[in-house]
Amino acid sequence: MILIGENIHILSKVVSLSIKEKKAKPLQELVIRQAEAGVDYIDLNVGPARKDPESMRWLVEITQEVTDLPLSLDTTNPKTMEAGLTVCKVKPLINSASGKEESKQEMLPLAAKYNCDIIVSVLTDKGIPSDTNARAEAIMETITYANDIGIPNESIWVDPIMFPLCVDQVQISEFLEFIKLMPDIAPGAKSTLGLSNLSNGVPHHLRPILNQVYLVMLQRYNLYSSIVDSFDNALINLVKGKLPETVNLIYRAMDGDVDLSTLSQEERDIVKTVNVLTGKTLFSNSWLEI
Amino acid sequence: MKFNDFLDTYKGDIKEVIIGKEGKSVVIGGENTLPFHYFEGSIPHKPLLALEVWDTIPANWSPHLLSVYQDVLQCPVAWAKKCLNTYNADLVSLYLSSADEENANPTTIAENVKKIAEALPVPLVVYGLGDKDRDVPVLKEVARVCAGEGMLLGPVLKDNYEEIGKAALEYGHSIIAQTPIDINLSKELNVKLSKFFPRERIVIDPLSSALGYGLDYSFSIMERVKQVGVIHGDELMKMPIIGNVGRDSWKTKEAKESKEQGIMWEALTALTLALAGANLLILSHPESMHLVRKTIG
Repeated sequence: MILIGENIHILSKVVSLSIKEKKAKPLQELVIRQAEAGVDYIDLNVGPARKDPESMRWLVEITQEVTDLPLSLDTTNPKTMEAGLTVCKVKPLINSASGKEESKQEMLPLAAKYNCDIIVSVLTDKGIPSDTNARAEAIMETITYANDIGIPNESIWVDPIMFPLCVDQVQISEFLEFIKLMPDIAPGAKSTLGLSNLSNGVPHHLRPILNQVYLVMLQRYNLYSSIVDSFDNALINLVKGKLPETVNLIYRAMDGDVDLSTLSQEERDIVKTVNVLTGKTLFSNSWLEI
Repeated sequence: MKFNDFLDTYKGDIKEVIIGKEGKSVVIGGENTLPFHYFEGSIPHKPLLALEVWDTIPANWSPHLLSVYQDVLQCPVAWAKKCLNTYNADLVSLYLSSADEENANPTTIAENVKKIAEALPVPLVVYGLGDKDRDVPVLKEVARVCAGEGMLLGPVLKDNYEEIGKAALEYGHSIIAQTPIDINLSKELNVKLSKFFPRERIVIDPLSSALGYGLDYSFSIMERVKQVGVIHGDELMKMPIIGNVGRDSWKTKEAKESKEQGIMWEALTALTLALAGANLLILSHPESMHLVRKTIG
């Protein structure tokens, strides 16, 4: 699975301050640490940067000073996006476009112009679709439009937009279905999602196990890539195949084939987490305690 | 194809909660099927309908309610008896409005509750203000002073469940576990409570709102609580559900506009929640209660 490291994000205080004051050092350190952690892309989120679209150009340049990894340029502002695209040395990823009219007019054409891959979300002017069918319908429309302006399916990474678990548990299990259906919905297109959103609102110390288990479940359904916390070591080891026994346990729990009584505490927690993510048990913040 | 082919049996059954003490008790819950699915399973106890009584004269109450209870507003015991004898309510729910007063004295409030509880032939439901801090001393004292009455006491919230729950446990009462229209938080509170409190003495209050003011959300949450208990057999969601309908219904603009509208508003809110799975409904106006009773039989 292709992992996109999310740790250069404008919502982080260090990042926003460093970008504002054009201090390269803390940002370059973050890039180096993420690359060492084993991610495949470095996401650069500068926000819309309406007052300073050139900040993306600067960020791309200082990032490329310390890594050869491809970059995921993350902004909703097409001007900011283009400022970054002009200086990328390795084919970057545009993160992201959507089915909103404005995005179709200004963001999607950049993928054709710069011949790069682009994340396209299921968002449209009508909002975020509410179920699997609506998601499929929305993304098919946007992909057709993208094809018409010269972007092939192979360059499109579909983001189905996941709500947090504590907002809508049912949707989390439906999501697996959507990923499974992806090859039928858009042959050749890739899939991606922002994993950390899954555990938004959950107490901090309980977030990693949710993210880790869910990503393995998604990987089983051939999710192509994910935007992740680069510093979640266990997560990266799991999806890179370094913990085959845990992966196997998750698969068996998905198939309902596990006897809890023979398991260790840690293994039991994993099975309980699978049961929450498949919708088998109702989620609450105490899901590991029962 | 036979009719039976369309019927389901479910793995979960809602726990029976006994409110009251020996010789003076009622039971809610106990069904092993979805609301009103009499054709699929057993529903041993119909939803109960309670009328609400305040322990002070209600300030800013709708004139359409005040006129009904005008002769008894001064005396909660007389008020409660009117609800039971004249209007045939199944139960009375006492709202501790006096706890809202400055210098409210928990012991005075609790002794008054005891007086009311002892004067009635049915057990009492007692609702505090729903304020996480101010309810604690009052509900604890009510639990202590009314020891052995087996009242249904609440609401306990995520911030005060421990203190109030322990008092209810010690003095033999059941509790209302309230969370703000969120099924995950509802389960969370039940998980925490059931570490020290018997599950068969918990009633879920998913916090309902009136028609036109978010009732659709309340319906969805209540419906899911019931489905998770009955269909999935989730041990922590098998408690009966209470819907506190009256106070919110009569606060609406629509209810204030006319008596007829208010009665319809309250009755429709209550009926909707009965369909979603409420086992006990608290109303304010006797006529809306009668409408609900006539409809659900």
